[in-house]
This record gives sequence, C-alpha cells and structure tokens, in this order.
Amino acid sequence: MGNAVTLVKDSVPATRGARRAATARTGRPGRRRENLAGYLFMSPWIAGFLLLTAGPMIASLYFAFTDYNLFTSPEWVGLDNFTKMFDDPRWQKSVEVTAKYVVIGTPLKLLLALGVALLLAQSRRGQAFYRAAFYAPSLIGASVSVGFVWRSLFSDGAIVDRAQTFLGFPVGGWVGNADWVMYCLVALTVWQFGAPMVIFLAGLKQVPRELYEAAEMDGAGPFRRFWNITLPMISPVLFFNVLLETIHSFQIFGSAYVVSNTACGPADATLVYTCYLYQQGFKNAQMGFASAMAWMLLLAVALVTAVLFWSQKKWVHYEEDAR
Amino acid sequence: MGTRNLDRRTILKAAGASAATLGLAAATGCGGGSGSGNGTVTIRYSWWGAEERAKKINQSIALFEQKYPKIKVKTDFQTYESFWEKFQTQAAGGNPPDVFQSAVTFLRKYDKRGILLDLRPQVEAGHLSLDHFRAGVTKVGEVDGKQLGIPVGSNTMSLVIDKKVFRKAGVEPRPGWTWDEYFKALETIRDKTRVPGDTGYFTIMYLYDLYLRQNGKAFFTDDGLGFDQTDLTEWWTDGLNRVKAGAVTDPKVVQQDKPKSSLSAGHGASEFTWDNFTVRYAAEGDSEYGLAPIPTTDGKHTGQYLASLMLSASARTSHPKEVAQFIDFMVHDPRVGKIMGYDRGILTSTEQYAAYKPADVINKEIARYEEDTAKAGVLGAITPHPSGADTIEAAFLRIGGDLGQGKSKVSDAVKQFFTEAEAAFQA
Repeated sequence: MGNAVTLVKDSVPATRGARRAATARTGRPGRRRENLAGYLFMSPWIAGFLLLTAGPMIASLYFAFTDYNLFTSPEWVGLDNFTKMFDDPRWQKSVEVTAKYVVIGTPLKLLLALGVALLLAQSRRGQAFYRAAFYAPSLIGASVSVGFVWRSLFSDGAIVDRAQTFLGFPVGGWVGNADWVMYCLVALTVWQFGAPMVIFLAGLKQVPRELYEAAEMDGAGPFRRFWNITLPMISPVLFFNVLLETIHSFQIFGSAYVVSNTACGPADATLVYTCYLYQQGFKNAQMGFASAMAWMLLLAVALVTAVLFWSQKKWVHYEEDAR
Repeated sequence: MGTRNLDRRTILKAAGASAATLGLAAATGCGGGSGSGNGTVTIRYSWWGAEERAKKINQSIALFEQKYPKIKVKTDFQTYESFWEKFQTQAAGGNPPDVFQSAVTFLRKYDKRGILLDLRPQVEAGHLSLDHFRAGVTKVGEVDGKQLGIPVGSNTMSLVIDKKVFRKAGVEPRPGWTWDEYFKALETIRDKTRVPGDTGYFTIMYLYDLYLRQNGKAFFTDDGLGFDQTDLTEWWTDGLNRVKAGAVTDPKVVQQDKPKSSLSAGHGASEFTWDNFTVRYAAEGDSEYGLAPIPTTDGKHTGQYLASLMLSASARTSHPKEVAQFIDFMVHDPRVGKIMGYDRGILTSTEQYAAYKPADVINKEIARYEEDTAKAGVLGAITPHPSGADTIEAAFLRIGGDLGQGKSKVSDAVKQFFTEAEAAFQA
C-alpha cells in the first residue's frame, strides 16, 4: 500500500512495454477480432457520443459564427457574436459573477474538504458513519429541491436572518439582497464538500506512516509534519481536486437558477455565465450568440486548466521528484 | 476511487472529460406525429396556468371527447415562463402542440416565424364560429387580416387592492382619480398602516402602456417603442424615489416573495395586474382583495382596452379541421363556460357568458369591474404588439426591478432597456 505512489510514475512505461510485448506474442488476426468485439461493446456509447455530444458540439461551433434565432436558417456573421460579447454589459456582469463564484467558492470548499478529511483520516470509532454523513450533501446537493430549501433558509425572517439578527448584525434575507445572494450560492457549494473530501481521504491514506514516524523522531511538530510531509505527499490529489472543482465551478447553473427563482437576480447578482447563456439561447432565441458564449466558456476553462497544469511544476510533487 | 493510478495522465484525462461535458448549447427537436389507426385523431393541447386551471380544462376535454369520440386530446401545461420557453423550442423543432393557449404579445412573433395557423379558412369551412362573441373581442386575435387566435377569456388591466389595508388607511379609490391622488394615497397608506402602498407599478409594461395611452402615445408602435428615453427616465426615476420613500415595496422583498406576489404576501397594499388575477391573490393571501379603477391623467381616460387569452393553432398541424372543432367547442359550449368560469378572464362568447353566473365574491367583483369599465366608456382599441413584445415585457420588469436594488443608475438602466428592446425586435 505504502509504495503505491512510488510505483505510479515508473509503472507507466512498464505497462506500455508489456503491452507491446503482448501484441507481438498474440499476433495480428486474433487481436483484430478482439478489437472488433471491443468496439462492438462500446458502440452504444460511441453512437451516443457522436449523436448527443460530438454532433451538437460541432453544430454549436458553426452556430457561434452565425445569427441564428432557431426559426430562420443561420446567417453567417463571422466574429460578430464574439465582439458583441465584449460590448454587452450583461455579459461582462456574468463573467464577473462567475469569476467571483469560482474564486470564492472553490478554495473555501477545498479547505473545508481537506480539513474534514484530516480529522477523519485518524482512526476512531464511527468513522464510516462520519464519512457517510459528510458525503451525503454531495449526493443531494445538485438537486433542485435543495435549491428550494436554500432559498427558504436564506429569505427574510427565515432561520439565517433570525440567527444573524440574534447575533447583532441583521442584513435581512440574502436571497433578495444583491450584495449577499452570492454568498448564499457559495454556502451551497461549500456544503457539498463531500466528493473532494473522499478523494483527500484516499490521498491521506497513501502517505507512508514511516515518514511521520521519522519526522516525529526528529522532533517535528504537527504543523511541520503537515506542511513538510502531508501536503507535498498529497499534492497530486490536491491538484486533481483543484482542477476538477474549478472546472466544475465554472459550470454552475442549477443552484443560481433555482435560488433566484429562475431570474438569476436580483440585479443580476446571480447571473452566472451559463445562466446568461441560457437566457440568450432559450428565452431570447439568440442561439448564435449563446453558442458563441458556450465556446468562449470552453476557451476560458481550457485556459485556466492550462495555467493550472503549468503551475503544478512549482507545487505538485510526484513521488520521483521528491527523491 | 483510489489514488493508485493518479498520475498526470489520469488527471489530464479527467480534466479533459470534465471540460468536454461543458454545456454546449444545442437544440434538438423530436419528431412526433399523431397517428390515426381507426380514424381516431389525436391532437395535442398545451397551456400555461396552475393546477386549478388544469382540473377545469380536463373536465372540459372530457365533454369534448364525448361529443367527438374520434378525437382524442393530449394535454400538458407549465407555468407561464416555462410554457413559452418550451413552446419556442418545440416550435423551432417543427413540433409545436396542435392547439395552445396564447396571448397578444406572442401573436406577431410567431406569425413572423410561420408557426401560427390562420383560422379564417376553418371559419369559412364552418368548423369554427366567430359569431356570438361579446362586442369587439375577436379583434384581439387578428393580425394583418388573419385570425391567429380565438379569445377564451377577456381581461383588462386593473388595480388590485388589499381592501383591509385601504380601509384602515381610509383611502377610497374612485373612478377617474388622478395619478397625483393615487401617489398621495400610497403615502397615506404607508403612514397609516406601515405597509407600502404598491408593489412596484413602474416595472409593469402594461401599466406604463396605459399611462402612455392616456397621453396620446403607446408602449409599442407597429415596429418599435412608442416612447423615448426621456419618458422612461422620468417614469423610472419617480418610481425609484417612491421605493426609497417606502411608498412602494422594496424590490428586495418582492424578489423574496416570489413565486408569491408581494400583495398576497402582505408586503404591499396594491398591485396593477389583469383583473382575472384577483382569483390568484385570493387563493394565495389571507386578506380581502378587490378591484379599483386605473388612475388617470385627465380625470377621465384610463387608457384601458380589452385584452384576452386566446387559443391558437399550429400551422404544422395535420388536423386543422379537428383543431378548429376543438377550439369551437371550447369557446362556445355553455357547459365548458360553466366549468371554466373566469379563470382565464371574462368568458368571451355570449353562450358561455350567459351560462356562467359567478357565485363567489371575487368572480362577481371581476364581472362587475368589466361591466363598469365598459359602461364608463373608457375602453379603447388595443395598440399593436410587435414581434419581440414578450421579451421586452420581461426586460422591462427585470431592469425596472433591479433599479430598486440600487446597483445601477436610472440612465444606465434606460439605456440597457433600449438596447435589449432593439435586439428583441430584430430577433
């Protein structure tokens, strides 16, 4: 178990070599039949992918360069949709709102996930129960009903309002307040820290015990051990979580849509990117513009992902680097 | 999920897969026909409304299917907003319902896109009668000589008031009262009852339309807006000042009350809306609600007109005759009138109007309101609603409401509204 991480990097070329050797041994014809069977088994998935994902994606790429209102055939407008975006105050607002959500929500969620994972990593009674309990919100968090619950929790005179009033800083309901409603969405995503927590937990279990023992012998305190052993050792897991949660955050739609009662308001305070995309596409029938927005989002997410990958050289330690 | 194989490659793959599932907008239409095995024809009928309306409509359909055993009616319904979102997608995919509820803001939009069936030939073929309608009401469904909708219930804009609060404040609305008197009343109500007098009059397109009509303009012209940025700046600035003064409900509260109205939630004493909506307030809230006259500029003209909910048909339907028979039954059969009541407005055909005698206070009041308005001679002709009117109505409500959040200046909001209106006309 303890050596698993060590093996990771070396194992890749090894398997590849083995595979090549295997191909040589079995020979071509049998291999081909096997491949065919493989593709056959995959065919429902492939068909689904081509029809439901790849096809629409290509179509939307085309629409992105057209003026398309769903009813008349698309009219080529070149880059108009893209230049229009930058002049559109509501588009700018949606970028601002989404960025705010990603930048505030993701780190908070990951911090909480890591914190709870550290607590749960120590063996104690009822561990399984705690894990399940903390994970539960992630299972139901994406549902519309939770959005409704959130909406009523954060309204005027509801529990959050009353608690705040009791503590002496009343702001009224968050849902109707353009300055506060964003934190209502952030609270909702942070509450669903279960999925990254489980991944962190798995990562923590992989850290070799002997490292801690050795560090303890040398007199390193708990913080030192965390900073110099735990964090570097789980940095690939941390990287994985940062990446997934960031990409995921950019796509927020459901909670903003439900908490704002489909308006993505008030005052566009929850007008997240996908919500504006939805409004333009399905309410205003500006499918060309909406498609262009979708591709812009893809570009932005790709860019952020690229930056994260570039940055990992600085802070992510794969086992062989540490050696 | 283990970390066993968690190397760069895996992460890259996972990231790639995640990025690929990004919601890239694409509309797919599902084809579907209404098969006829033994000469039986199935038509699809969709509408917006609440559960209550659905119950009544289903009862009516049962009667229809008794009379026409060879026609089956498949139904579905949504809320107002989701109805039109869904309809737009269905219509774009070439698969709109055969017959559906509609309103004047949508006629030109979908006529322009070739979605609506001209019912005139069906009238001429004798499948649908335009006789026995209350005076002038079928006009609402006419566009450029085509009959695109048949009214099922007519309504007028009105002022719905919380009678208890008005009484407590000692305010008595009277026909022909002026805007000054009305605004004064809002303040009196605020002072005497601590309830804001109105829930947000300045964000309601149909009311602004009435105000403009009182002043010789209208919200829409044939192909654009009938007012300029100065007009709207004045209207919204006044509205915003009244929010700040507490005479009009804080939009923060309005937002949180949704989907309830702030009037029925007790956070405002009056609301401008269609008269048949009183039914809804009565069901939602626990005060006593009634109808009051629209304030005027000159002491007489309210700018009101008869609008209506209609039934329209799809130009793509394979059963225009059956659809026409269905509409005919729904608007003329007295039994249907008895079942539906004033749920969609005052019944439009004389047969149904005569068949239904409102028993409860609310429906009686609606009937009296429309009678009084008609008698007062204030009803004018409906002005055009060009394609895009629906989007503009929503933008007016949203941008006007956002103003009260104090996040934008009136001048910016007005500019934003005009930009969005322009885009909506062109769409």
